[in-house]
Amino acid sequence: MDDSDEALMARVARGDQPAFRVLARRHGPAMVRLARRILGNTADAEDVAQEAMLRVWTHAPRWQPLAAFKTWLTRVVVNLCLDRKRRAPWVELEAAGEIADSAPVASELAETDERERLLQAAIAELPDRQRTAIVLTYSEGMSNAQVADILDASVSAVETLLVRGKQNLRRALGGIIDEGD
Amino acid sequence: MNNEQLQIFLDSHGADPARWPDAHRAAAERLIARDAQARAIFAQAQRLDALLTRTHDAGAEDAAAAARVLARLAALPRQKRPFWHWPLVLLDWQFAPAWPRVAALAGCAAIGFMVGIAGLDRTFDRLDAQSVVASRDIGSMFEPEAFTGSRP
Repeated sequence: MDDSDEALMARVARGDQPAFRVLARRHGPAMVRLARRILGNTADAEDVAQEAMLRVWTHAPRWQPLAAFKTWLTRVVVNLCLDRKRRAPWVELEAAGEIADSAPVASELAETDERERLLQAAIAELPDRQRTAIVLTYSEGMSNAQVADILDASVSAVETLLVRGKQNLRRALGGIIDEGD
Repeated sequence: MNNEQLQIFLDSHGADPARWPDAHRAAAERLIARDAQARAIFAQAQRLDALLTRTHDAGAEDAAAAARVLARLAALPRQKRPFWHWPLVLLDWQFAPAWPRVAALAGCAAIGFMVGIAGLDRTFDRLDAQSVVASRDIGSMFEPEAFTGSRP
């Protein structure tokens, strides 16, 4: 039996729950990982992954295979993350305290080394779309064109996001980058 | 290409030459080869990329989180069907499930029967003639012609 994503989606569209669970198990961890890297904490990432899975189920009958399933799912997760960040109450940078204190992932990364903790904190401080572009490029290994497709932006807009994002990271990390491996 | 442009180029496309667009690759490589400052920019871009690529990997944690999410979805809601769903169900060659097609067929038959007995398939100009025929004795339709004596 064809167990490609698209074949499974065709079965899900007919209300096949086992096919849905196969899809969810296949892509669930990657959905959580992507959401966690954009949102900065696992609890929110779980909520986003749950909402994304529900959309897979409820929208399956109307899903058109115009793009690869994974691309569509990534777009759903990214949009849910950006919506969630938009709805979240804004915290002024000064009120948020030092970078190390304001990072929502700090407790989760307690066992990682200091440099990675600072990097995660710096990434968490980036504006949402800059952070998303960085995560999609470096964590998901996407090309600029793929990131543009996910963010519904032009390639040059993605390049601008990457340039500004890295400028911000260099400013936040300072000499940490140059400390070497 | 100067050093400032190289920095923007590396920020846009990363420090992996395999990902560089062909149109600018040669210029970037030439600058890096001849200019020490450009080499420093390139080296720093490589270190930043390495940091970003090697971020915290929580594979087991993500798998556990995904399993928790899946467990929460034990009861799935009703799916959203497009309005053209039901005609497509009738055309579905797999005939599974069959009840929508059977129900639709029975519905069509019932509607056809009702339309037939209600006379809704007649045109307006024939309504009067039909009513005249209906008012006559049905047996007269089978009587022989008055002049020729032939039967219908």
